[in-house]
Amino acid sequence: MIIRGDEPEQLRLLRRLYKPGNYFMQGNEALSYGALFAGCRFYAGYPITPSSEIAETMARELPKLGGYYLQMEDEIGSIAAMVGASWTGFKVMTATAGPGFSLMQENLGYAVMTETPLVLVDVQRSGPSTGQATKGAQGDFFQARWGTHGDHPIVAVSPTSGQDAFWEVIRAFNIAERLRTPVVFLFDGVLAHTRERVIIPPVEDVEIAYRRLPANEEEAKLPFGDPHGDGVPPMPLFGHGYFTHVTGSTHKETGLRDVYTPEVHDRLVRRIHRKIEKNREVYEKYEEHFTDDAEILIVSWGVTARPALGAVLRAREEGINVGLFVPKTVHPFPAERMRELAKKARAVLVAEMNLGQMIIEVERYVNDDVLLKGVNKIGGVPLTVEEILREIRGVA
Amino acid sequence: MQIRFAGIGGQGVVLAGVILGEAAAIEGLNVVQTQDYSSASRGGHSIADVIISKEPIYDVIVTEADVLVALAQLGYDTVKNSLKEDGLLIIETDLVKPERPYIGAPFTRLAEETTGLALTVNMVALGYLVAKTGLVRRESVEEAIKRRVPKGTEEVNLKAFRAGYEEGSK
Repeated sequence: MIIRGDEPEQLRLLRRLYKPGNYFMQGNEALSYGALFAGCRFYAGYPITPSSEIAETMARELPKLGGYYLQMEDEIGSIAAMVGASWTGFKVMTATAGPGFSLMQENLGYAVMTETPLVLVDVQRSGPSTGQATKGAQGDFFQARWGTHGDHPIVAVSPTSGQDAFWEVIRAFNIAERLRTPVVFLFDGVLAHTRERVIIPPVEDVEIAYRRLPANEEEAKLPFGDPHGDGVPPMPLFGHGYFTHVTGSTHKETGLRDVYTPEVHDRLVRRIHRKIEKNREVYEKYEEHFTDDAEILIVSWGVTARPALGAVLRAREEGINVGLFVPKTVHPFPAERMRELAKKARAVLVAEMNLGQMIIEVERYVNDDVLLKGVNKIGGVPLTVEEILREIRGVA
Repeated sequence: MQIRFAGIGGQGVVLAGVILGEAAAIEGLNVVQTQDYSSASRGGHSIADVIISKEPIYDVIVTEADVLVALAQLGYDTVKNSLKEDGLLIIETDLVKPERPYIGAPFTRLAEETTGLALTVNMVALGYLVAKTGLVRRESVEEAIKRRVPKGTEEVNLKAFRAGYEEGSK
């Protein structure tokens, strides 16, 4: 049923169904095939534009792989069903957008607190509220980080093209499995609906990770402990014969509820933070272009990183020493590298399809004597090479 | 090369863009295809953009169209300013009245005469475009049509495409 323990059959099916080669497809489709290659075999969702092609593709393809597509009554139910399915051992995903992402916030917190691996795709659309339903945006940067209440860490990944979405969603699944944590996948309505050439690789080229299971009865009794010292507890799955208690309320290492003892809460929530902070090598990822001698540094992410690279190439032709820094895991932010690059720069421009969100994160790592400026656009139409180039010239 | 198709919902504008894009992908070219349409399924404006290049493509939207294929006045009026000064304008001559130089043919009438179906107007226009510009090979488009149109309608769509191609080769 799931890939673990069923690899030969799953590989045979994947090979038969998805021939390697050049395809012409939407970002949403590329992302979906990535999820299938990553081992996702359960999808619970409520279609909403501009994410609906993900639900369509998963509904069509999952049954061919022995997986399940569950049409839920709303977004709250969708993420709840994912949490349940993940505890039975499935790799799980849902995709939503705008108001749907808002509705999922409560149970995203539940997934953080119960340390449930899942991938939540947010195809960012132009808000607030129902906004421009069919248009893309990058306005959910901080909602991904702080949308659910209380102290909590989050990992969020954001791809820069359809092809990139195929590979990055696989990476998102691997992070979720390795760290037993929900991962938010920040896609956007522009790339979601852009058709491009996408190369589907041979299935052998895809590396996938599995969550750690209890090695013995003792480990199974501590589903929220830290027997390996890396902050990531093994996950005793439902149906494997253990008595496991899972709750969003504060709990001891055994899983039993204790909402009164301050030390229990402190220990649990600090470990969940430490799990993410101490395992940076599992998720940290960024791309750099011409940063060695960059006096002007562009920071960009997602759909905007692409015209930003086009603008940097054009500016380089004009003799401007400009470089580009693209965080691919946007939360936790690649702070150390950002600080190093900002030290060498005289100006930092942050290009994004919102009124200035990642720039607030960047600001924490840039000294006061560096010029920091946003390149922002809203309205559903992506930034262009020309628009970003103009801003580079303006500070050159 | 930036190509923009503009019409109204129901004319198959987006499918024409997708098929042109797929043909370019078949030839191993870099290609980006996007669309914009109103929420009405029929009658609102409908735009499909295709960017084709041997080089990597950094803009995901048409910034300045090299070619505009206009199948309806509403679509034309919506995006006419995006066509380059020296760009090529191709129109459905019965339905679009432009105020600048153009080439074109009565694509809807041609569609009706060839297949009996006005809705194959998109394939006629696509054939005309490919003949006039040589953007992609005719065979690549025919392969893309077979992949993309609903099963059972391949022949009628190919017939319409070939009629447009012939008209454009005159």
